[in-house]
Amino acid sequence: MPHRSEMLSIAGVQTHVLRGGRGAPLLVLPPEFAANRWFPYHDALAARFQVFAPDHLGFGNSERPDWLEGIDDQVLHYVDLLDTLGLERVAVMGLSLGGWIAAELAVAYPQRVERLVLVGAAGLKVDGVPRFDVFTHPIEETLQTLFHDQDRWVQLVSTDLGPEVILRAYHESATLARLTWNPYMYNPELERRLRRVKAPTLVVWGDDDRFLPLPHGEAYARSIPGARLQVIAQCGHFPPFEQTDAFLRCVTEFLLADSDGAEHP
Amino acid sequence: MIEFYYFHLMPWPHLPDDFDRQHPSSWVTFSNRHYDPQRGHDLYNEYLDEMELAEKLGFDGLGVNEHHQNAYGTMPSPNLMAAALVRRTSRAKIAILGNAIPLRDHPLRVAEEVAMLDVMSGGRIISGFVRGIGCEYISLGINPTYSRERFYEAHDLILRAWTEPGPFSFEGRHYQVRYANIWPRPLQQPHPPIWLPSQGSTETIRWGAQRRYPFVSVFTSYAQTKRLIEEYKDAAEAAGYQAPAQQIGFAVPTYVAETDAQARAEAKPHMLWLYRRGLKIPPNFLLPPGYITEDSLRKFLAAGLRTPSDLSFEELEAGGYVLVGSTKTVVDRLKEIEKDLGLGLFIGGGRIGDMPKDKALKNMELFAREVIPHFRDPAPTANKQGSGAVKRKRVD
Repeated sequence: MPHRSEMLSIAGVQTHVLRGGRGAPLLVLPPEFAANRWFPYHDALAARFQVFAPDHLGFGNSERPDWLEGIDDQVLHYVDLLDTLGLERVAVMGLSLGGWIAAELAVAYPQRVERLVLVGAAGLKVDGVPRFDVFTHPIEETLQTLFHDQDRWVQLVSTDLGPEVILRAYHESATLARLTWNPYMYNPELERRLRRVKAPTLVVWGDDDRFLPLPHGEAYARSIPGARLQVIAQCGHFPPFEQTDAFLRCVTEFLLADSDGAEHP
Repeated sequence: MIEFYYFHLMPWPHLPDDFDRQHPSSWVTFSNRHYDPQRGHDLYNEYLDEMELAEKLGFDGLGVNEHHQNAYGTMPSPNLMAAALVRRTSRAKIAILGNAIPLRDHPLRVAEEVAMLDVMSGGRIISGFVRGIGCEYISLGINPTYSRERFYEAHDLILRAWTEPGPFSFEGRHYQVRYANIWPRPLQQPHPPIWLPSQGSTETIRWGAQRRYPFVSVFTSYAQTKRLIEEYKDAAEAAGYQAPAQQIGFAVPTYVAETDAQARAEAKPHMLWLYRRGLKIPPNFLLPPGYITEDSLRKFLAAGLRTPSDLSFEELEAGGYVLVGSTKTVVDRLKEIEKDLGLGLFIGGGRIGDMPKDKALKNMELFAREVIPHFRDPAPTANKQGSGAVKRKRVD
């Protein structure tokens, strides 16, 4: 499926968006790794939907404005992006950091979110369940932790760790630290606010997610009214990379289901 | 004329035998179960004794510093050590090199403590400000991406607290206080000297030069020291003045003995301890996200990411990361450096890494007796104390 790269000025901030496909609009919010990439799962989704895959502020080719401080800045930026694109209401899917942003968007602007898919979403803390500290481990260890099948991490990043790659990674890591050094990868207010989510919600989680373990997915499914949890077998933090077929099957089915269907009364 | 400071890190020398193999760092993750408070009690007292002796031996000042949660330096609060020294010394300046102000949640606490020390000591305090090293942002949970902003903002608040009659209101991005009004105020006027011990970004050096804050290059190669000091002098010139020697400082682990060969043999294991064990820090701890600018990282990468931990003793010596030799060699070298850098402040030290007490004492005594006098003003003036300094009143 062909896709194209666009640089949009959103309220004066240069924002990079990959887009492709036809159909109902689907906003795909990427994880904190591998920005500015169009993966096979984007392609498969683009066969059914009009996919918008932006780079978060401070990631990929999107600008990092000086005022960027928190997840709420990213959320407001995406509301401005939807306005710029003329999209009143969209399905939103987010992975990891992108999942957190998607959840916050659905809390703050429930009327803008048609359906919500959270995939290994950050944003919650479950007492007693450790989260991998991405800031203090070498990239190799991080990548190994992300996948059930540890040899397959090369799918995600270039193995060339030359100066430009390191500088880019440091830039994005600094953005992530700005957003969530402390509290680390969660918003203490989010869990109680999730009741505000109006969209039918699917939570997708790998059964062997050692980066952000499954109890976080269970907490999302428990806190969002009517949400369903889909656990994917033999899978780490990134189902769309590691179990692409199983991931696409459940997500496509969910996104195409009749919204008046029995699943989401 | 050089002022000599006896600088202490107060290291924890008792690393386990398997340290080199089993422990990736002496910081952040190196468990404090390796700290033994009983031995710590003895060490702290030995270390403080050394610093008190340094005053008697003729050092101009005593240097303490701040590091957190590591074996390299067990002085999380330099102000506490300064307080311990204030009552046991009467002449030496006490240089806090420095308070890591962005790591504190309240800069006014630093303003207050340094003011207390200044009043208690009769105006003998030098107040260095540093950012703290990358590890410490991890160990204390402070967001490293705000490090610089917090440094500058905390400095501004402290300086106003020292110099502006309170109460005044301060509303910054990181610190807000509507009734800043510290008691006591510092004794030295307009405020205790502020020093900038640093490995130096261009931005920080320019900032310091504009304010005439003495710059101290810390534990880096001589070539880098030279480059930083040139940058500082250029920045001073751009600000409209020539940086005097009293603003140029160099901190380097120093060891003197009777001969060059003896000095090398005696110093080598401890210098290597300092750089290989004390400063064993993997990149993810050294450079947490946003701690350095991308420009600085680019330069670091271009230099091949080599840190002093990777160097042999001979390379450390040749690179000027350490200063080791007979007293004559060290005097000659210091004369060269004095001229080359326009140096006025030398921050050396005795107890390096796991150096035993006897070597440390021999080193400092020899240094005080055989090196320092070569850099004294031939006709010393009667009172060298800083403005506002008062003689301590004793009631015993």
